[in-house]
Amino acid sequence: MSTQAQNKDQGCHAPDRPATCDVCEVRGRSICADLGPREFAHVEKTMARRHVSRNKSLMIEGEPNESLYVVVAGSFRLSKMLEDGRRQVTGFLFKGDFAGVRSTDASAYSAEALEDSLVCFFPHRYLEEIAADAPGVKDRLIARGQTEYHKAQDHIVLLGKKTAEERVISFIDLIGRQIGADDKDGNRVVPLPMPRQDIADYLGLRLETLSRTLTALREDGRITDVSRHSVTIPADCVSA
Amino acid sequence: MKDDWRKYLGLRAPRYTSYPSALHFDAQVTDEDYASRLGEVSLYEPLSLYFHIPFCKRLCWYCGCNMRVENDYARAVRYVDALRREVDLVGKKLNGAGRPRSIHFGGGTPNFLKVDEIGRILEAVELSLGLTDSTRLAIELDPRLIRDNDIARLVALGFNRISLGVQDFDPEVQAAINRVQSFDLVEAAVGEMRRYGVDDLSFDLLYGLPKQTVASFAATLAKTIALSPDRVAIFGYAHLPAQLPRQRLIDDALLPPEALRADLSILGDEMLVAAGYVRVGFDHYAKPDNPLARAAIEGRLRRNFQGFTDDPAETTIGFGASSISFVGEIYAQNAKTLADYYSRIDQRRLATERGLLLSPRERVVAATIRDLLCRGRADIRPLLRALAPTEANRICANLDRFEEDGVICWEGDSVALAPGARTLARAVAMALDPYEAAIGRKAAPRLAHAV
Repeated sequence: MSTQAQNKDQGCHAPDRPATCDVCEVRGRSICADLGPREFAHVEKTMARRHVSRNKSLMIEGEPNESLYVVVAGSFRLSKMLEDGRRQVTGFLFKGDFAGVRSTDASAYSAEALEDSLVCFFPHRYLEEIAADAPGVKDRLIARGQTEYHKAQDHIVLLGKKTAEERVISFIDLIGRQIGADDKDGNRVVPLPMPRQDIADYLGLRLETLSRTLTALREDGRITDVSRHSVTIPADCVSA
Repeated sequence: MKDDWRKYLGLRAPRYTSYPSALHFDAQVTDEDYASRLGEVSLYEPLSLYFHIPFCKRLCWYCGCNMRVENDYARAVRYVDALRREVDLVGKKLNGAGRPRSIHFGGGTPNFLKVDEIGRILEAVELSLGLTDSTRLAIELDPRLIRDNDIARLVALGFNRISLGVQDFDPEVQAAINRVQSFDLVEAAVGEMRRYGVDDLSFDLLYGLPKQTVASFAATLAKTIALSPDRVAIFGYAHLPAQLPRQRLIDDALLPPEALRADLSILGDEMLVAAGYVRVGFDHYAKPDNPLARAAIEGRLRRNFQGFTDDPAETTIGFGASSISFVGEIYAQNAKTLADYYSRIDQRRLATERGLLLSPRERVVAATIRDLLCRGRADIRPLLRALAPTEANRICANLDRFEEDGVICWEGDSVALAPGARTLARAVAMALDPYEAAIGRKAAPRLAHAV
C-alpha cells in the first residue's frame, strides 16, 4: 500500500495517503459509512494513514493533539498519569475506535500501540474547513465508533462490579464485543493483545488476583484455552 | 535557639494535621453528607486510605491516640469484620470512582492484628475500591508484637513502608512511659525488614518524655542513626493529663522543663542533619534519596493526619473508629467508641458522627497554613483578603512581633520562616489562624506544646 517513509516523531511512520479508501477494512463497519459520496471525497482528501509500531505513542498526555484518529488495524492502550506520577490504564482502542475527538493543546491521556497498528487520521483543521460543505461531518464520522468518552463509561461500569470474577468475565466479554471475537464452533475466541499487568491495572486488581481469578474461571469451565494472547468463551457460556 | 524565641516555647499550638483541627468538628456533618460527597468523587481521583486499628497489647502512658488495651483476639476479628463492611459501604457509594493509591494502617497498634486479618482488609479494598500492585501500602508496627514470619508476609502482601514506634532507647525513659523494648529487639526487626527488601523504614521518636536528658537523648539518636532508618520523625510529647487520664500515670516532676524540651528538639535536629538526613517540615527527617525528602526538596510536601507526606491525594478516606475522612471539602469523623462504631456499621450505615464543611474562608486559611508548614513560606495576601479587617489587623500585628524577634522575614507578600526557626512553625501558623487566641497569651492547655 505504501512506500515506507522515514521514522518520524514518536516512532510513527510518516503519513501515507491511501490510494483509495475502497480497500479500507473498517469503512463499512463504522467509520465513513454514513458519509455521502461528495463528503466522502472531501474526507478522503484530508485524511492520511500512519503506521504506529508496537509500544510507540500515537498521542502523549499533556502534548498538543490536532487530529482525529481512527484505528484501522491493531490496538492501543489509553492511559493517564495520576498526580503521584504513576500510570492508570483507562481503556483500550480497537479497530473502528476513535481517539482525539477534540483538538487540544494538552491531551488528557496517552495512547500507545499494543501491537503494530495502523490508523487513519483527519486533521481537525480540515474537518472544520469542510464543515460548510458537509455539516456535522465530524459527528457523523464518529457516530458508529467508540471514543475515549465511551471507554470511560465502560471503565466505570467494570470498576463498579463487586467481585473479581465479575470484573474479569465482564472485561473478557467487553473486549470480545469490541474487538470482534472469532467464532469457532460457537466458541468465542477473544484476543487479549494487552499484557496481564495492563488488565490488572485497568480492573483495579493485583496481578496475583487476576491470575487466580483466570484460573478459577477456567476451572469452572467459564473460560477455556487461556493463553498469553487470548481466551476462549465456550459456546454454552456465551452471554447475550 | 535565640533567646528572643524562648518565650514562644511555653506556647501551646494545634498540630495542624488538618485545618480546622478536629476540635472544631461538630454533629452538623452526618453520614448522609459523607455519602453524598463520596458519590461526587471522580473516576480517576487518587484516594488515600487510612485504617485505624485501635487495639494495643499494653498501655503506653504517653499515648494520646484513640486506643484500648485488648486481650481477646476475637474482638479484633469482630472489628476487622466491621471494617470490611465499612469498605463495602464506601465502595457502594463510590460505585467504581476513585483509585486508591496509598493505604496506611495506623493505631493503636496495627500489628495487634495478625497478618491474616490485614490480608482480609486488603482483600475487601481490592474488591470494593480496587487495589493494584502500584498502590503504596504503609503500616505502623510495634516491634514488641512482631511475630515470626510477619515481616515476610507483610512484604508479600505488598507493604513497602513500615514505621516502627521507637520513642526512646533509654531503659529508664522506657520504664517511665511503660514501653520497655530493648535495642536488640528493634535491631532484629530492622535487620529482618532489610533482608526482605523494605526500603522505606521510618522511626518515630519522642522528646519531652519523663527522665530524658541531653545525654540520654543523644544516645537514643546515635542508636537510631546506627540503625539507619530511611526516615525519622521526632515528635514533641504532648502532656495533657486533664484530657487523657492515662497520662496521669506519668509523674509531672520527671518531665523535662521547657528549656530542656527545646534543647532536645535542637539536638535531634543537629544530629540527624549531621548524619545526612534532610529536614522535612518541622519534625520529619529523611535520607536524601527517600521519596519524602524528594517531595520536600521539590516543593511537593503535603500534610495529612499522619504528619508530613509525599502522598499527593487530596481525598482521604478513613476507616474504623474515630478515623477522619476528607472528601469534597468536608471532614467526616467516624464514631469514636467501638460500641457506637459497631452500631452504625451493623445498621449498614456509614459511621460518621462529627465533621465540618470547610467554608471558603477556612479553605484560604488552610492553604496558607499548609504552605507555611510544608514549604516554610506562605503568600498571605489571599488570607488577608478573606478575613474581616479586625482579624487581618490582628494577624499583621502577630506577624510584626514574630518579625521583630527574627522568627520570620518578609519576601514580598510572603511570610518566610527564618533559618533555624523551623521548630516554631506551628507557633507562626497559629498566628495566622483566626480561630486561635492572640499570641502573647497562653492558649488553653488542651493543645500540645508548640515545641
